[in-house]
Amino acid sequence: MTNLPSHPLTRRDFLCRSGMGFGSLGLANLMASQGLLSAATGADRSTSPLAPKGPHFAPKAKRVIHLFMNGGPSHVDSFDPKPSLQKYAGKLLPRTNLRTERKTGAAFPSPFKFQRYGKSGIEVSELFANTARCIDDICVIRSMHADVPNHEPSLLLMNCGEARLIRPSMGSWLTYGLGSDNQNLPGFIAMCPGGYPIQETQNWQSAFLPGAYQGTYIDTRHTSVDKLIENIRNTSLSLAEQRRQLDLLRQLNERHQERRQQDAQLEARIQSFELAYRMQMDASDAFDVSREPKHIRDMYGPGTQARQILIARRLLEKGVRFVQVWHGAGQPWDNHDDIEVQHRRLAKECDQAIGALLVDLKQRGMLDDTLVIWGGEFGRTPTVELPSPGNNAGKVNGRDHNHWGFTMWLAGGGIKGGYVHGATDEFGFQAVEDKVHVHDLHATLLHLLGFDHERLTYRYAGRDFRLTDVYGHVVKELLG
Amino acid sequence: MKSAMRFFTLAACFLSPAMLRAAPPVDPRGVEFFEKHVRPVLVSKCQSCHGTKRQQGGLRLDSRADLLKGSDNGAVVVPGQPDKSLLVKALHYDGDVQMPPKGKLPDEAIVHLTEWVKMGAPWPEESVKTDATSLSVSEVRRTHWAFGPVKKPGVPAAKSPDWVKTPIDAFVLAGLDAKGLTPAPSADRRTLIRRVTLDLHGLPPTPEEVNAFENDPSPDAYARLIDRLLASPRYGERWGRHWLDVARYADSKGYVFTDERRYPFAYTYRDYVIRAFNEDLPYDQFVLQQLAADQLPLGEDKRPLAALGYLTLGRRFLNNIHDIIDDRIDVTMRGLQAMTVGCARCHDHKFDPIPQKDYYSLYGVFASSVEPKDLPLIGMPEKSAELAAFEKELAKRKAEVEKYREEHKEELAKRNRKFRDGLRALEKKVDQWQVTAPVAPPRAMVLIDKPTPETPHIFLRGNPRNVGPEVPRQFLEVVAGEKRQPFRQGSGRLELARAIADRNNPLTARVLVNRIWLHHFGAGLVRTPSDFGLRGDPPTHPGLLDWLAATFMDDGWSIKKLHRLILLSNTYQQSSSGDRGLLEMDPDNRLLAHMNRQRLDFEAMRDSLLCVAGRLDTTIGGRAVELTTAPFTTRRTVYGFIDRQNLPGLFRTFDFASPDASSPQRYATTVPQQALFLMNSPFVIEQARHFLQRPDVTAQTQDEAKINRMYQLAYGRPAEADEIALGIQFLAQARKSDPAKKEPTPLPAWEQYAQALLLSNEFAFVD
Repeated sequence: MTNLPSHPLTRRDFLCRSGMGFGSLGLANLMASQGLLSAATGADRSTSPLAPKGPHFAPKAKRVIHLFMNGGPSHVDSFDPKPSLQKYAGKLLPRTNLRTERKTGAAFPSPFKFQRYGKSGIEVSELFANTARCIDDICVIRSMHADVPNHEPSLLLMNCGEARLIRPSMGSWLTYGLGSDNQNLPGFIAMCPGGYPIQETQNWQSAFLPGAYQGTYIDTRHTSVDKLIENIRNTSLSLAEQRRQLDLLRQLNERHQERRQQDAQLEARIQSFELAYRMQMDASDAFDVSREPKHIRDMYGPGTQARQILIARRLLEKGVRFVQVWHGAGQPWDNHDDIEVQHRRLAKECDQAIGALLVDLKQRGMLDDTLVIWGGEFGRTPTVELPSPGNNAGKVNGRDHNHWGFTMWLAGGGIKGGYVHGATDEFGFQAVEDKVHVHDLHATLLHLLGFDHERLTYRYAGRDFRLTDVYGHVVKELLG
Repeated sequence: MKSAMRFFTLAACFLSPAMLRAAPPVDPRGVEFFEKHVRPVLVSKCQSCHGTKRQQGGLRLDSRADLLKGSDNGAVVVPGQPDKSLLVKALHYDGDVQMPPKGKLPDEAIVHLTEWVKMGAPWPEESVKTDATSLSVSEVRRTHWAFGPVKKPGVPAAKSPDWVKTPIDAFVLAGLDAKGLTPAPSADRRTLIRRVTLDLHGLPPTPEEVNAFENDPSPDAYARLIDRLLASPRYGERWGRHWLDVARYADSKGYVFTDERRYPFAYTYRDYVIRAFNEDLPYDQFVLQQLAADQLPLGEDKRPLAALGYLTLGRRFLNNIHDIIDDRIDVTMRGLQAMTVGCARCHDHKFDPIPQKDYYSLYGVFASSVEPKDLPLIGMPEKSAELAAFEKELAKRKAEVEKYREEHKEELAKRNRKFRDGLRALEKKVDQWQVTAPVAPPRAMVLIDKPTPETPHIFLRGNPRNVGPEVPRQFLEVVAGEKRQPFRQGSGRLELARAIADRNNPLTARVLVNRIWLHHFGAGLVRTPSDFGLRGDPPTHPGLLDWLAATFMDDGWSIKKLHRLILLSNTYQQSSSGDRGLLEMDPDNRLLAHMNRQRLDFEAMRDSLLCVAGRLDTTIGGRAVELTTAPFTTRRTVYGFIDRQNLPGLFRTFDFASPDASSPQRYATTVPQQALFLMNSPFVIEQARHFLQRPDVTAQTQDEAKINRMYQLAYGRPAEADEIALGIQFLAQARKSDPAKKEPTPLPAWEQYAQALLLSNEFAFVD
């Protein structure tokens, strides 16, 4: 029983804590004059945690889609060609192999062909041939690096900016800072077919932020909306019957309210039933890709990846702030063995749809203000993984984790397309030029969405927390 | 030594301006890199020969100035040029000088040091301010409201003595008077019994209880009502849950790779807390038991050992011990002292007088405590065939682990993954048996002291590989004062507990009375209930806070007496309707010119639904039950299984306290997913059906009487004529297009109506 007027979720608290601070006097006027709250009206405005809010400065991107290749896709097999590996094929590199999770041995040249694409002529491997057709819209960061070669901490670092402790995820920070443009849908959605990735729901946790900012998990293995979103449909009432029931409810509530002073929390709760009623329709619509014309569905291709990426586009179009699309449960891209076969299969599952997404966003005029992020929690070694007791079943044809250097790419949302940023060493083992740490990526992401990453904060347990902790630098070169 | 070093630096500045210019401005990235990758290597691998104690070859590697000064043979580092730096060559074993002499560093360390030299060897200015804050500590102790001794202040003289029923009212009225405000009128009896019943039990009163109270003419009717409510076990289930928020209670460990995630015995802590509230265990005892029950004389009944769950049932952070200790420090210091000590893990607290060394003093206490492999039994069920079967199976599973360990000794010694996984799987089976077997005897999740306590060192910047000066195990100076003594008994946990459960501790009672006040009123007197530091909110009524704290201790730390004190005040009994002008003047109701309207939290909502449906199972205690899947349990929500790793959406949607860290107060968001649950979930529809099928509802043959009875059950009041008319009108319409024939479970008109009553604001809010 802790609803109270000065609850940590008042509008004022939000704004103060988002580093948009001002005193408590003349609040409404100030907000109007600063244009801090744009679309929300009435009751939502005072109490809905997802009411749209303005960032610190004019944003380039308004929404984000994060294509998460969980497990760690190999950069030297996709976006970071290393011909020198050929020279040392089967031999030790002329440098020491850096320490990763397991022991690795000789140089392992990529089995995939690279070719130049677009005006920019950036080289991409055959794995992502469809994606590569949009290379002039893509900014390839070849100098990413993280802290450790293990999945669990690296996933948390990539998502929450901290490897072990409980911190809010990117999507939570963004919905906290910006709210969402569609109150009839969750503002932050994480999709993963068949179950959770490693670290599970922690990847989209809101931690000490309110639960409303937690990612809503959708198991995209299912196709029917009832299975996608909890309680989205009443199995006992038709919509018309439910409408009549909610009309009765509204009358009960209005009668209750008339006998009391105006109270924003009463109004907000009345509104929430109307929103919920509409959410039933909107969500059903958003998740139903059969409503797309055939040529669009064909463009994305067959399969679960295509379906979930198309759903993601529909969600973005409807105003969802942050959609995270995971490749699959567990860690599909974690190919310690059989990398040629496995990476080929995985890329085939998603490449066509990723290429289609970029084209589709562009043709809808959405690419300019939608930030697309592609990558895993780290990359893989340019050297072959050596079999260790109990692992690999004697195979010597995979790559180990590599946090020393890896590739991620960004597109749209104010990013410089057709541009390669940074480089790994001659063999792709370690980022050496213009290195970009995960914290830097976060700082840049927040910058594109209109936030100074040092000022998007939340006070908790005596400290002002932020996504980038005490780190992070905006990588200006990535900005278009 | 340190001052000598400073002198040297200073001298260098004066004597060699060129050198000063040569030092590049320290780039924060460089500092990060240095602290993360370089300093730990220098400390652990180099400084034993090139540091404060020894300077082999005349070289010191504990400051940038010394590094640049080089060895007796000249420079060892040329910033920016690893190729020309002797140090780098030596690390690579590339030439005559090979360092460290005992063996080459790991490759990654060599890479890091090389890169660091290439970056220009950035090295931040030394700033281990372990002594610098001591002045301000004593100053802050004198000046900050939370750190002064608790003295019972005089009760202000009241201008309108009629309104003042208790000293609480005198303090509140003084605040109102100062602003020219008057308190709201008293709530009517119906409102009052609903308020106080939901407050103390998290359940609505029955119509009979409402009637009895409304018609009780005796002047002590309200006092007796409070006594009745406090004596019921429903009270401990409600208020124990408030404490479980502070204790970041959950039934699982979080993500621990493939190990068993469920704690088999977390429930023994939950049950301990509920019992402590029901039995009105004095709060100082409650604190002592939660921190050090293993070291208290307990007598026959060992159940209080379960109190140590307060420390042990946190998240396991991939089994990282430093984070586990940090969690224990946090739950102790924020939970019991409202001090954000965790901020001092990496550096001195930026706002409060908590130097980093004090964090590590507490760290030493918890680092000197361990969880024993076999947890102690705290109750033994009667001998039975089932118990014998349980024990037999447990022994069998344990034996399998031992057998495997023995048979695959060699492979396991080689850390062969397949066999390690095999062993883990068998160990998991032991844990699973403890979790799932219904007759597994209860055990307490205790801590015990290590045979030899650890001597803590400061971890520079919080990095355990970056070891700084030694510190004693002791309490915070800002609380214990300059004359504090290092702990002497074992880990010092009992001494820590005593320092907290001490009448002279300025925080303990203030923090607790504020937490109790918060749950009665919806807002604390201090509105940052787990941060009483300099950046926390000062109390709205400082005199009242101190008066309550002092009275609480005088009353033997009795929480039930504290409830009575608060609930009997006129302040609590005010109506929740503030007038419009008042709302503008004091929108946050800091002055308490009316009661706050509060929304039912998750537990009160779910339990009230079950209660009104006539189905609430009042069984007390035991293993956690799954709440979210059908067939739905009708146990109270406090007994639901809490999985901190994947907390079900239902909990999050209704702002359940995050079980990841001590939570002083819940959010109260309004989101459509809450409405979706109420509109569509099979659980709610099930309760609506049962609501209608209650014998006291079906006994009413007339529609009017039926509606009236339902109003009494749901809202604690009869229905008014227009409400009955509204209901009858709805039923007629709904019947018209009835049969609501949606297969397979049609919802007849009456059930639609019953559900609407349960969805209403009148049900969800407490005036």
